[in-house]
Amino acid sequence: MTEDAQTSVHDVIMIGAGPAALSAAIYTTREDIGTVLFEKGVPGGLAAITDWVDNYPGFPEGVAGLELATNLQKQAERFGAVIEVGEVLSVKDEGEYKRLETTEGDKLAKTVLIATGSDYKKIGVPGEQEYYARGVHYCATCDGAFYRDKKLVVVGGGNSAVQEALFLTRFATHIDLLVRSEIRASDVLQKELQKNKDKITVHLNTTTDGIIGEDNKVVKVIGTNKQTGKIVEFQTDGVFVFVGLDPNSKFLQGSGVELDGIGLVKTNERLETTVPGIFAAGDIRSGATMQIASASGEGATAALMIREYLEGRKHPIQN
Amino acid sequence: MPKNITIFTTTTCAYCPMVKKYLTTKGLSYDEVNLDQNPERQAEALQLSGALTVPITVVTKEDDSKAVVIGYNLAKLAPAVA
Repeated sequence: MTEDAQTSVHDVIMIGAGPAALSAAIYTTREDIGTVLFEKGVPGGLAAITDWVDNYPGFPEGVAGLELATNLQKQAERFGAVIEVGEVLSVKDEGEYKRLETTEGDKLAKTVLIATGSDYKKIGVPGEQEYYARGVHYCATCDGAFYRDKKLVVVGGGNSAVQEALFLTRFATHIDLLVRSEIRASDVLQKELQKNKDKITVHLNTTTDGIIGEDNKVVKVIGTNKQTGKIVEFQTDGVFVFVGLDPNSKFLQGSGVELDGIGLVKTNERLETTVPGIFAAGDIRSGATMQIASASGEGATAALMIREYLEGRKHPIQN
Repeated sequence: MPKNITIFTTTTCAYCPMVKKYLTTKGLSYDEVNLDQNPERQAEALQLSGALTVPITVVTKEDDSKAVVIGYNLAKLAPAVA
């Protein structure tokens, strides 16, 4: 099952090059399935911009997100995966083939793996857009160094928010962590948070209502303490936002691929979407656990299902 | 062909190697300013781009005009270095 050079039909095009797609590519290329990945951002996706990953199996001391992403990429490329820089704009099912409209022209594939993951969600409050990249940030590993010896606000209470707040203690003198309800991060991260309580002050049940600037700089965040109903203010030099994920699925409009209520791709137990030959894995999949390890696992599963599909055989577990 | 290209980076930024890789594949050389190692140059990066983020790519053209590209944005980087 190699590339058909005359018609330039790829065996599989993977949309995205995060842990799910890179893991899938390791499997498909080793099966001699011609594999092209389209990535509009950074190979490794959100994993690549995560400071430190402590829960990916096989790394007893943890691993830098960028290092994990780079190694996944190298491993996939070693077996022949091709990573192209470009964005998929739409997907159309033409029966035997799928047509992908991309920024690099139209591409044809026998099968498609949707592994576009998610981006960090915006809070949607006044000042957020206005001060984007000038005091409001979504990538601590990129922009944390600008806040050496400064005060910061981090918004969010999940693993990402706590992990990145801990990372930002390398630079900031003090961090106010604004959590809308309760901390949802893992126990390990919560213990780390406790160890850093002199540098990170946690404000539970506190909404973030606005980001205020003066002279073109962020100076404070305004919120509400939900228990007292009182307005609270936090003087700060910058704001880092980690309040959940926004699925990268807008390009699927009109494709026939069914999405759930929040825009994640619905699949069956074989990770196949509502369009035969189009599969989904990782954070973009409805029901995914949003973990790097499970994204890799889903990628491997999707690769095996793609192989079965290309061979025209049903999976042995099917009747 | 640009006269000079400078990239402002940080050590842990995942997008920075992508910009460097892109320029290398285009056969373009560049100077890198790591802002972790040279924090005194952060003000310069801010002044040039108006942004507190990396990567920032500053392209000086033959006529000494400058193009500044914020982030890993190929739609803006490709014409800037063409």
